[in-house]
Amino acid sequence: MAEGLRVQGLSVSYGPALIVHEVDLEVGAGATVSVVGPNGAGKTTVLRALSGLVLWEKSSSRQAGVQLVGEVWFGQERVDHLPAHQIASRGLILCPERRRPFREMTVEENLQAGAYLVRSRKVAQQRMAEVCRLFPVLRERGRQRAGTLSGGEQQMLAIGRALMGGPKLLMIDEPSTGLAPLVKQPLFARIREIKTLGIGILLVEQDAELALSMADSGYVLSQGRVVAQGSPAELLADEVVRRSYLGL
Amino acid sequence: MFRLRILGRYLHSEILVLPARVLALVFIAALLVLPLFSGDSYLLMVLILTAIFTMYAVSWDLLAGYAGQISLGHALFFGVGAYTAALLNTKLGLSPAFGIPLGAVTAMTSGLLVGVPCLRLRRHYLALATLAFPLMLTGIVFAFPEFTGGELGIYAITRLAATRVVEYYIAIGTMLLVVALLWKLTTSRVGLIFHAIREDEVVVRALGIDTIRYKLLAFMVSGLVAGLSGALYAHFLRTAGPSNLDLFMSFHPVIWTIFGGAATIYGPVTGVFLLFPALEYLRAVPEYRMLIFALLILLVLRLLPGGLAPWIRDRLEKQCPNCRMNNAFVRSTCRACRSQLTP
Repeated sequence: MAEGLRVQGLSVSYGPALIVHEVDLEVGAGATVSVVGPNGAGKTTVLRALSGLVLWEKSSSRQAGVQLVGEVWFGQERVDHLPAHQIASRGLILCPERRRPFREMTVEENLQAGAYLVRSRKVAQQRMAEVCRLFPVLRERGRQRAGTLSGGEQQMLAIGRALMGGPKLLMIDEPSTGLAPLVKQPLFARIREIKTLGIGILLVEQDAELALSMADSGYVLSQGRVVAQGSPAELLADEVVRRSYLGL
Repeated sequence: MFRLRILGRYLHSEILVLPARVLALVFIAALLVLPLFSGDSYLLMVLILTAIFTMYAVSWDLLAGYAGQISLGHALFFGVGAYTAALLNTKLGLSPAFGIPLGAVTAMTSGLLVGVPCLRLRRHYLALATLAFPLMLTGIVFAFPEFTGGELGIYAITRLAATRVVEYYIAIGTMLLVVALLWKLTTSRVGLIFHAIREDEVVVRALGIDTIRYKLLAFMVSGLVAGLSGALYAHFLRTAGPSNLDLFMSFHPVIWTIFGGAATIYGPVTGVFLLFPALEYLRAVPEYRMLIFALLILLVLRLLPGGLAPWIRDRLEKQCPNCRMNNAFVRSTCRACRSQLTP
């Protein structure tokens, strides 16, 4: 079942650089929320923080001076202190930026790797069938190496891989990056279909019009702060928001 | 009779259809029957050492090839296995049957001890850090010469078995078993996760997988197998010394594995079985031995960067463009979907 996400006062800084500043954000159970904004607004960092990857960077000391404050509640549980793999096991699953498929593995193996959280083989097979129904091209290319897929197909694979884990809330980071408009449209149609499966979606996207058009509500992020929020219609109608932040 | 027929059908439908599998089967059979045809003690010795080093190379392939945790200090595990078995044997009088498994288990523990501080390191940082561990153990060995034999090492260890032929079957049998088990492991779900960690650890974590557990598992299994080979080595040569821990010992599995083809398991097997006897028999021309050896390796790496074994496999088999099933190179249609194969 879907669960809601509540973020309060989330700040992330790398050394002296404050990337995300006091962000409050809410995704109702089963809702679709889009976070839009210009390049470098901190959208990706928000998702990395929610999925525990910022904390992982901090603990593995790969980055000096990583600071993360704020509260993240998923359902009834506070998850901001949990390691990344446990956050995913709660059903808060990230489909990462730049798709990042396991390039040397086949499409099928990529999906199997995504099904790690699924204990029963039967459920895993059902999920696989479901994902292949959503993205038929993944079945066709099942035994092909993921690195040989086109950009759009790789994005479908990345979303499919995240779906295999059975998310309650799926966080998708910049799915349209580097895709031709002709590929973008059908991809977003598929994401709309995921909505109907009762899975909540937190979508981070540069293409504001496309992302807001399918959302229940939206946030505009700029320089690490939420500068506007509301229903997609409101945001898209606001002349200041359109011109200053969305470049429309 | 019925069982035999099942075996026959299995042979026909699973093994004989692919040349690479036939090759593997012939290779195993040849190893098993060889002592019936040749009692040449030198040949058997070379093959015993080859089998022991095969396990060693395969253990490196699991850790570095599959899980991507490049270790340049693999001699640590080999040395821990060798020294543990040697000490248990000479100080406590333990027989090889107990000392060798205990040596392997001790090496597995050392794998855990190395793995924990190395968890946060990646790629060349990890490689450099692992380089230090065998040096540390060498230091310890030299610090307590009364106990460890210091520079001379420990000698007069009990022989592995009474005759060379029995020793041969112990070494070959253990090697075949270990290679089969590691093959099974790497083609399982665990192997898939190792591979995924090698490609992108961050994504693996984001998919809900505790990568720390799997990395430690790789270190432990690899340490166990390397320690087993080290312990067998000590009992076969009847000595364990600081040379078991030196840099050459750490680099050998790297050379063998990359020569044969990394992340394949059969690659390092091929590598050791070609390179180790080659180096041994090149003793006939001592002044050119290392030169020829180095040129051979350079040539293979230059011409076949993926390693020798995968290259041979790709010559013997071709993939069906339609269903991606592998087929023997002589076929013109796919054995599964009957579609046309490109010549």
